[in-house]
Amino acid sequence: MPREETPGSASHEVIMPALGMAQDTGLIVAWHKAPGDAVAEGDVLFEVETDKATMEVEAPAAGFLTDVRAQAGEDVPVGNVIALISATAEDSGSAAPPAPSSADDDDGGDKLPDGNEVIMPALGMAQDTGLIVAWHKTPGDAVSASDILFEVETDKSTMEVEAGQDGYVAALLALAGEEAPVGGVIALISADKPDTPIQRSIAAGTAPKATPPTGSRTPSAPKPPSEPAPKQPQTAAAPSAQGRILASPKARRLALQEGLDLNRLVGAGHAQPFHVRDLDTLRAMPEAAPTAASAGTAARHLTAQAADGFSGFAHWASETAGLSDVSALLAGLAAASLGREAVVDVERFGQGRTYATHAQLGQTARTDAPPALRLRDMRDAVLSSVHIGPEEVPVLTLTQDDAGIAITLECSADQLSPGDALRLISNFAGRIEHPLRHLL
Amino acid sequence: MAQTKTNTEDYLRMYAQMVRIRTFEDTANQLYLSAKMPGLTHMYSGEEAVAVGICEALTTTDRITSTHRGHGHCVAKGAAFKEMFCELLGKEEGYCRGKGGSMHIADQFNGNLGANAIVGGSMGIATGSAFTAKMQGRDDVTVCFFGDGATAQGLLYEVMNMAALWKLPVIYACENNGYSEYTATAEIAAGSITARAEAFGIEAHQVDGQDVLAVNTLTQDLVARARKGEGPFFLELMTYRYHGHHVGDINREYYRSKDEERDWKDNRDPIVKFRGWLVDQGVASEAEIEAMNAEIKQDAAEAVEYALNARYPAESEVDMHVYADIEHALAPHTA
Amino acid sequence: MREITLSQAVNEALAEEMRRDDTVFIIGEDVAEAGTPFKVLSGLVEEFGTGRVVDTPIAEPGFMGLAVGAAMTGTRPVVDLMFGDFLYLIMDQLCNQAAKTHYMSGGKMRAPLVVRTNLGATRRSAAQHSQSLHALVAHIPGLKVALPSSAYEAKGLMKTAIRDNNPVVIFEDKLMYNDKAPVPEEEFLIPFGEANIKRPGTDITLIGTSSMVQVCEKAAEILSCEGIEAEVIDPRTIVPLDEATLLASAKKTSRVIVVDEGHQSYGVTGEIASRINEKAFYHLDAPVLRMGAMDVPVPFSPALEDLTVPTPEAVAEAARRLMSGEMIHAA
Repeated sequence: MPREETPGSASHEVIMPALGMAQDTGLIVAWHKAPGDAVAEGDVLFEVETDKATMEVEAPAAGFLTDVRAQAGEDVPVGNVIALISATAEDSGSAAPPAPSSADDDDGGDKLPDGNEVIMPALGMAQDTGLIVAWHKTPGDAVSASDILFEVETDKSTMEVEAGQDGYVAALLALAGEEAPVGGVIALISADKPDTPIQRSIAAGTAPKATPPTGSRTPSAPKPPSEPAPKQPQTAAAPSAQGRILASPKARRLALQEGLDLNRLVGAGHAQPFHVRDLDTLRAMPEAAPTAASAGTAARHLTAQAADGFSGFAHWASETAGLSDVSALLAGLAAASLGREAVVDVERFGQGRTYATHAQLGQTARTDAPPALRLRDMRDAVLSSVHIGPEEVPVLTLTQDDAGIAITLECSADQLSPGDALRLISNFAGRIEHPLRHLL
Repeated sequence: MAQTKTNTEDYLRMYAQMVRIRTFEDTANQLYLSAKMPGLTHMYSGEEAVAVGICEALTTTDRITSTHRGHGHCVAKGAAFKEMFCELLGKEEGYCRGKGGSMHIADQFNGNLGANAIVGGSMGIATGSAFTAKMQGRDDVTVCFFGDGATAQGLLYEVMNMAALWKLPVIYACENNGYSEYTATAEIAAGSITARAEAFGIEAHQVDGQDVLAVNTLTQDLVARARKGEGPFFLELMTYRYHGHHVGDINREYYRSKDEERDWKDNRDPIVKFRGWLVDQGVASEAEIEAMNAEIKQDAAEAVEYALNARYPAESEVDMHVYADIEHALAPHTA
Repeated sequence: MREITLSQAVNEALAEEMRRDDTVFIIGEDVAEAGTPFKVLSGLVEEFGTGRVVDTPIAEPGFMGLAVGAAMTGTRPVVDLMFGDFLYLIMDQLCNQAAKTHYMSGGKMRAPLVVRTNLGATRRSAAQHSQSLHALVAHIPGLKVALPSSAYEAKGLMKTAIRDNNPVVIFEDKLMYNDKAPVPEEEFLIPFGEANIKRPGTDITLIGTSSMVQVCEKAAEILSCEGIEAEVIDPRTIVPLDEATLLASAKKTSRVIVVDEGHQSYGVTGEIASRINEKAFYHLDAPVLRMGAMDVPVPFSPALEDLTVPTPEAVAEAARRLMSGEMIHAA
């Protein structure tokens, strides 16, 4: 088909063509025409190299090659205009200036002066950022290594930080009142007095990280937090003793809506996961006695000390009465302290046994029934005191003490009233000191 | 239009349609090279006499199905440049509102049931279109365009079998351009291509696809017979694609020599051949032809300019036309 | 009300729609005189002739493709795909062509056709004639998918499918062709996207599709004897899906089991369970359970095949576990 130049048409753009399937740029290997040369449509204009091959590119129209703005050896983005085919041999000058090179693209815009980096130090154990309370130097100031450069506040304290090197403050890259990420560059100290010391906020230019942490693939410019890190969870709900509570989404939602505390179910020893029907139990539970210090915990923790009258008694009971099961003796004393016969769970030397007590010590016997009280004999352990938290039944724990035996009673508020708890531990301490009273 | 081709107007129209296809493709190629067109496209340049010779034998109510190399069929069946370029550029005013693009361009008002990005994917559709004509007692004919590469698809044999059994008014038009993507046809097609159709008792013809008059004369005859219930028919049109498989297929000497390409362009170009014939026969003067070419070029330039400045579809269109009768498929009440 | 079989219900639906609209035709293998292997189409060719009840060669991609072209040019084909397992053969024509025609043409063309096929195991037909592959097509935007669970739904959904202007795939349970259900004699349609609450309940929701609706209903009867009132819901179409009804039930009972005969992995059960999880999470008192067909090819031996499909007993047992508050998969 004959090709015609449309008469009077404007100049034609010569464009870096998209040749390959996944090609972004093309390398100009050679121009086959020089600026000002006459060209016919279809003449080979230049050669392009892509990842696949070298190709000759033909002139899109007849005219003169002008406004050549990419030379042999240049890699040009696909679609960019690299020359014009014009009606005359002179450059039109109308061509757009070459696209700016991307090499100088800086993160913050203005160029930073040279200098050694000062980074936001990691002060606390789990600290991600530090708040700059104040700068003690201004840009351009001379500093010595031991000069205080700035003050930092972490969650724990405020600290003064020294410059660490002699020189001049070339740049302060954060403002007082800003939080900088730990490891982020917040200042530059130069050896020579800087010509144009600068100060800017973190927001103006991201503080590049001095040394990326080992093994980290984090980009070198950590994003400064846009707002202070959250301090404390807002919720008043105290975490449960065992950590995460297992409950269905619906049970959680209803508990939240009704202001019910699932921790109370945990405290009362109900089995998890909690479902909606467990909320009925929770609703039916008496309100915890409001105490100023309760702070969401419904636990009672009482301690007592007693002279050890029990060891001698146990020896006597074994030798004289044939009652060799120390656990059974302890169960009897504990139940008696409650003022009734009861099922008591006794843990000694890592073994648990459950007894149904009897008014007659000798008739206390093993049982499978659920216990009303647990007694944990830890006198052989190195423990001096315990604070475990409520379990499904009140727990008495015995630990060895210089002066005798330390007794701890732990229970939840709904298991024992304050009076009952006091009576229980007092009675029990008395029985440890004077076991024979029990027999009377 | 389909009755006789003995008058000047019809010849000039055939010439103009071929130039329109070539001009459309040259312009589309420039859009691709200058990175103004999203995606890839497959050029029809070199095969113009096939689409024009066949479509000039059809009426508007006759239908065609097209291929991934479909711009030529679309133009030949009567489509407008503006809506075509808008579609190629993904614009709202495109034939498919920018949702189809080059490989799915369709023009149902002129009976083009659409290009198809699955090689051989439209053979069933064309046969079904012919089934509708027969079932409803209409006399329209459907032409199924496909390439030599598509003759390797099993679907062709399933539908030719049914078309032959039921005497459907369909013409299977195999554009044999010598290459199945990046592989010579001889390496992918055993035996004879026309014999494949003859095995089903379908009358098959091989014709020079660079000779628009030969294609048109044969097609007129077959279309007329198909309307009378004598179909189906099969055509193998010997032609050549000037570009690679697609516009990005530039380094192709490993499967096709530059000498071969030059030979087809210099000696067998369908437009150059027909132009010479028109001048020899005194149908048109060189000056008239040049004027026609310039007008078409101008037409394409204006259409491209319009399409480049046209609007993209609104984001809200993304879930429209998923289902007929449901405006937004992802609206909450229908999700 | 009179009771007819699912097979008769489908036959009636097709006959009524073919009488109403002469662009409707049936095409497939052995649909005319043979009336399909399941004899669902018996008598239709006598009334409508071979021009509208069209026997094809054994060439599923071919007649599926032909149906797409016919639908695009003004007819309403009902493609008879003898077994759901043959979906794999027609995937290009159904999913690349029919499903996308309307969208790719910017709404200017459409392909109103129905693919009538089936699902269901335990017919001792082994791995290539027993699959329930509706999830495959439900995954493809542009296709609608209907799953009738009784003769009543089979008729009402088929009539709606034929009148729909989109490609619809309708799966009949091949074990239910002889099951009878009350079906009105007067004309009726069942709209797409409207779930049916088969049995109201308060304690747990059993969502079942197609063959699994009966399984859920039987499970609900078992549970009822134990004081557990299960709500059984049949979505009837999975595309479109009546999410509102499913979510409302999930919120009411706070426990859900989804039962479907497709393979469990990456399937319908997972999709529905996931939507409930996303949109009713804070109303759930237990994890949403999926029960699908076992992720194995369907075995031939009855001793093995019966293990692969959810049963009423298995559904009831799963419901009991959820009701007991057992910590399922908590580790």
